Amino acid sequence: MITMIHVVNQFFAGLGGEDKADMAVAVTEGVAGAARGLQAQLGQDAQIACTISFGDNYFHEHKEEAMKGILDAVRSRGAQLVVAGPAFNSGRYGLSCAEICNAIANELGIPCVTAMHEENPAVGSYRDFANARIYCLPTAETAAGMTDALKALAKFAIRLGRGENIGPAQREGYIGRGIRRLEKADRPGVDRAIDMLLKKIKHEPFTTEVPMESWENIPPARPLTHLKDRKIAVVTTSGVVPWGNPDRFKTYRNTHWQKYNFAELKELEPGKWEAVHGGYNVAYMNKNPHYGMPLDALRSLEAEGVIGPGKLYPAYYVIPGNQGSPSVMRRVGQEIAADLKKEGVEGVLLVAT
Amino acid sequence: MSKELEKAGLPVAIVSAMYPVAEQVRANRIVKGVSIPHPCGDPSLPPELDARLRREIVQTALKALESEVTGPTVFSPSMAASG
Repeated sequence: MITMIHVVNQFFAGLGGEDKADMAVAVTEGVAGAARGLQAQLGQDAQIACTISFGDNYFHEHKEEAMKGILDAVRSRGAQLVVAGPAFNSGRYGLSCAEICNAIANELGIPCVTAMHEENPAVGSYRDFANARIYCLPTAETAAGMTDALKALAKFAIRLGRGENIGPAQREGYIGRGIRRLEKADRPGVDRAIDMLLKKIKHEPFTTEVPMESWENIPPARPLTHLKDRKIAVVTTSGVVPWGNPDRFKTYRNTHWQKYNFAELKELEPGKWEAVHGGYNVAYMNKNPHYGMPLDALRSLEAEGVIGPGKLYPAYYVIPGNQGSPSVMRRVGQEIAADLKKEGVEGVLLVAT
Repeated sequence: MSKELEKAGLPVAIVSAMYPVAEQVRANRIVKGVSIPHPCGDPSLPPELDARLRREIVQTALKALESEVTGPTVFSPSMAASG
């Protein structure tokens, strides 16, 4: 018999909705709320020792206390594994599930499985954790998919509890974490690669062994009309900054951005600016910063009236983009977007290296 | 980066020499840059022509901002501007 614990938010514990979102961590012996459904799917193979619940807001506002309460409860029950969720497309709940799993796996060495919709923003955190002890199963967008989600969680939990070997994401159906493992293949890589290439040339389906991160489609923003009346700003990932790098950007993995004013300048003079970036040869950019921030061209278009008077935002935004992790760049993008909006900018020229 | 800005409703023209990557990550208005270490211009050209090319690239980006697109679209600056 496998002993496990189910972690859910206040809503799925059956304790209340948004009005109970400030509820502290609570432990119920046996099953409560969604855990009943999970226990039904587990049958005789596993037993849920207790159901741990927490308020959606409480968790994020009192993270340290909440996490301690959860870890203590899990530790005291001697559980072999923990199930959190399913969180469907709820961002707060999804993030709690991912963070709880990560803490339990790291602190207690216990495997965890959670489940949520693939577009839940918390999937990004799950991928960033890339924790070999955590699995996240895809679910429907809403709780209409509860039965399927619990079935899948139960099946997966029993395998985890038995210590079965879990294969790669593509084969097992959990959401990929980007962890690569050494594996024995029947045929050498060169043969497999040529097979794939031939299939690709013949337009036949093939499966890559190195999947790239998939990217969401963002519907294009509306185009600008009356361009000369629109406020334009420049953002660049080239790493062009004032000489001496006053804000101490690193050549890689930066986590902050800056804005540099050029209101009084007609051009960026060589020797007064430099490029800080570890991903390309910065010699050209150092000699002529306009390759990364084309102020000379913008001023000339301004003089001709293509860009209206006062419509070039008088500062540019910069972060050296080298090795920026998608989640950090997303956050930086959001911060820059908010600042651009605040400043009334309507269109952006983004120079990327 | 370009996607977070577009999510906020700001049209973005991304100048990048790695335009296939920009397409792959589903940026919407993509302008072909010259090369990775110098997207806006070409140091092998005499300074005047280099500046003209840069102006052409920026102008293409502004045109891209004015263009209706439905998905990743690549805009090519006329390199004839470089002479």
